[in-house]
Amino acid sequence: MQKKIIYLRDTDSAQQDRINDFYTLFSNELRDANLQEPVQLVKIADIGLYEKGITVKILPENIVYSGIKNTDVKRIVEETIKGNKIIKELLYEKKSKQMRAVLKNCGYIDPESLEDYIAAGGYKALIKVLLEMKPENVVEELKKSGLRGRGGAGYPTWMKWNFARGMNSPEKYVICNGDEGDPGAYMDRSVLEGDPHSVLEGMIIAGYTIGSSKGYFYIRAEYPLAVERVQKAIDQAVSAGLLGNNILGSNFNFELEIRLGAGAFVCGEETALIASIEGKRGTPHPRPPYPSVKGLWGKPTIINNVETLANIPKLIAGGGAKFASVGTEKSKGTKVFALTGKVKNSGLVEVPMGITLREIIFDIGGGILNNRAIKAVQTGGPSGGVIPQEFLDTPVDYENLSKLGSIMGSGGMIAIDETDCLVDLAKFYLKFCVDESCGKCAPCRLGGYQLLRILEKISEGNGELEDLNKLKKISYAMQKASLCGLGQSASNPVFSTIRYFEDEYKKHIVEKKCQAGKCKALIYFKIHPQKCKKCGLCMKNCPSSAILGSREAGYVIDPQKCIKCGVCFDVCKFKAVMKE
Amino acid sequence: MKKLTKEDIMNVDPLKKDLGKSWIKVGMSTCGVAAGADEVYSTLIEESKKRNIEIDIRKCGCQGACSVEPLVEVNVEGLPKVLYGRVTKDVAITILERHVRNKKLLHDYIFEIN
Amino acid sequence: MTKKDKLQADLEGLVKKWKDKKGNLIMILHSIENIYGYVPRETSLKLSRLLNVPLARIYEVITFYNYFKLEPPGKHNVSICMGTACYLRNADSLIEEIEKILHIKEGQTTKDEMFHLDVVRCLGCCGLAPVMMIDEKVYGKVKKNEIVDILSKYVKEEE
Repeated sequence: MQKKIIYLRDTDSAQQDRINDFYTLFSNELRDANLQEPVQLVKIADIGLYEKGITVKILPENIVYSGIKNTDVKRIVEETIKGNKIIKELLYEKKSKQMRAVLKNCGYIDPESLEDYIAAGGYKALIKVLLEMKPENVVEELKKSGLRGRGGAGYPTWMKWNFARGMNSPEKYVICNGDEGDPGAYMDRSVLEGDPHSVLEGMIIAGYTIGSSKGYFYIRAEYPLAVERVQKAIDQAVSAGLLGNNILGSNFNFELEIRLGAGAFVCGEETALIASIEGKRGTPHPRPPYPSVKGLWGKPTIINNVETLANIPKLIAGGGAKFASVGTEKSKGTKVFALTGKVKNSGLVEVPMGITLREIIFDIGGGILNNRAIKAVQTGGPSGGVIPQEFLDTPVDYENLSKLGSIMGSGGMIAIDETDCLVDLAKFYLKFCVDESCGKCAPCRLGGYQLLRILEKISEGNGELEDLNKLKKISYAMQKASLCGLGQSASNPVFSTIRYFEDEYKKHIVEKKCQAGKCKALIYFKIHPQKCKKCGLCMKNCPSSAILGSREAGYVIDPQKCIKCGVCFDVCKFKAVMKE
Repeated sequence: MKKLTKEDIMNVDPLKKDLGKSWIKVGMSTCGVAAGADEVYSTLIEESKKRNIEIDIRKCGCQGACSVEPLVEVNVEGLPKVLYGRVTKDVAITILERHVRNKKLLHDYIFEIN
Repeated sequence: MTKKDKLQADLEGLVKKWKDKKGNLIMILHSIENIYGYVPRETSLKLSRLLNVPLARIYEVITFYNYFKLEPPGKHNVSICMGTACYLRNADSLIEEIEKILHIKEGQTTKDEMFHLDVVRCLGCCGLAPVMMIDEKVYGKVKKNEIVDILSKYVKEEE
């Protein structure tokens, strides 16, 4: 008999020991059938399915059975393992929700080896472009593909390139925007670290298309490994003749240089980024003129996000039409998301446009930690908004997300559960934007600060209903009057949390209550007399001597002295300390 | 390095590098390294020498399953390609002995995702 | 070589390397910070002369970017990540804990110059949230009660 491997996994999170009993049962069955030798039974840590009962996967046939009862084991052994027959009613036909295009090489090739990248099909697109295509053909393919910028705004890439191509200037520049500043997102870092040559190839193609001979990688200094790997890739490309003069025997010359960011979120905005490469403070300029007309050193410049550029080689190699076969009507291709927050499997996922948020969070992410209820999903980082759970079935694309008051953004996706306070979340993002405001224009500099003060007031229990109107008014003014994208979108988290969770704001304002227990001023700690075992641990640990009582009489918290540090809550082994 | 030509790039056999060979790949991006991938990688190199286990050990980028880093992917002839998560030094040694040498998969560390 | 000579030599080397490249100021400041851990005032003064750029221009850049420091850091740099993922997994309680242990606030250095505490943006290890970094070493999934042990390891190393 052919050797087989069977994976076992209990996909229900609540039952802990069930899988061991099941394993014993299964191995006994195998022993009785005399199949121990050819069949390996392996308990595994994750089978890619969630809340589907006990699940087995039989290899090499790749048959997945889920929701298995103990009584099914005998049948599986007899019919499938011995008889090679599939049991229809147990079969789970899993469709892979992920689709790896940009991340295809990440985790597959050695990022420090040019040879590996070429073996995986790398630089073939460059050859095609240099030897067979004119710049206008490249633009044509991009147009067919429908590729839009992956950095946030979703501007069609072909238009950007075409503008710059049409400019009559001896000097033009290509910039790769690797200033991934959105806290909670790290797609670009992974691509730069895992597959740097794909971004290089995209940049060289961009240079050829617009007629530029010099490109800059702008990378956050906080990503030392990414910087190191990109530099290595550049050095390899230079010595292999993929950068420099007469690339691959053509008459096209191109060189690349790394410039480091220095910790300023606003530098993700293109005009600020240009100022930063020029060695100045990263303050934005009004547009127009757009960088494609007047950019770096006053010359036509295109700025593309890491993920956009990493899409280019595959797009060219496979053709624009093939690229456009994935996705929705106006959003084509795949998108990488950094799925984090209260989700079980946090990590990087790449999905076709048009997949629903629910599929991403539950089928790929495995649902919410500790089986709590999901409250909302935040996308787009500090410039984005929250999407409440009732819209989880919305297909993800640029238009749908902005209709819901959020944005695609660069790809941060954060699951928020019932224990998270949305007033606090809005405050968190706003604080970020206030810290990062460059100060050049008043709506952002002053508006952000005032919004933050009002939010602080609400979370401290001093809010008034009139504050909600003020928040809306200031937010609106910032959106309309700020100079750059950072200021215009800084109030989005406030806007969208009020839009969907006004009740939660009102609870903070009227009832002075924070249900999630996040806003310190609005919570009180209490000891539940029935649950208290009078061990005294809380009193020993209280830093402000706010716990009174004795082992005989039990303990109470003196609200006057309590500083709400939560130590008693943490140390109590009997869950007798309660947060209200 | 010599300058590459069109032929060098067009005529590589994409399967040449992987097919039929046994290898171990360790995810060495920032999150992997933060979770201890460096130690796992050097353990694999040292211990495989010490134990006379011949296998190609390489670095690679991020597989995406950040919450279960460090990730180690193992391909041994005759066994399915397996992704191990939450690999420690001890687990790395067990992978060499149990998986690579004795061709038995480890319990509780395999992640079948994507 | 005296400290002053070394500084002069360092700077001249850097300026030579970057002089012909446009927009070099930020890259030179990065190199200085890599050598000294911060940007000492003397270096800015010298740089201003070597590059023929007004001192104000240099300071305007240093103070704009979070990455550049004007004060020497502590022996060990403790950074707590306050990216969204870490924030949601209660990174603020880690900050409180460290502030309590070291008796310093964010951005300050302990009296013995042993630890410097920074609250930073995303370190890019969201899957391991909450994350703390000491010098180059990243600690993932940190629990409040582990911090004392982690910090005392560094203190012991010194003894």
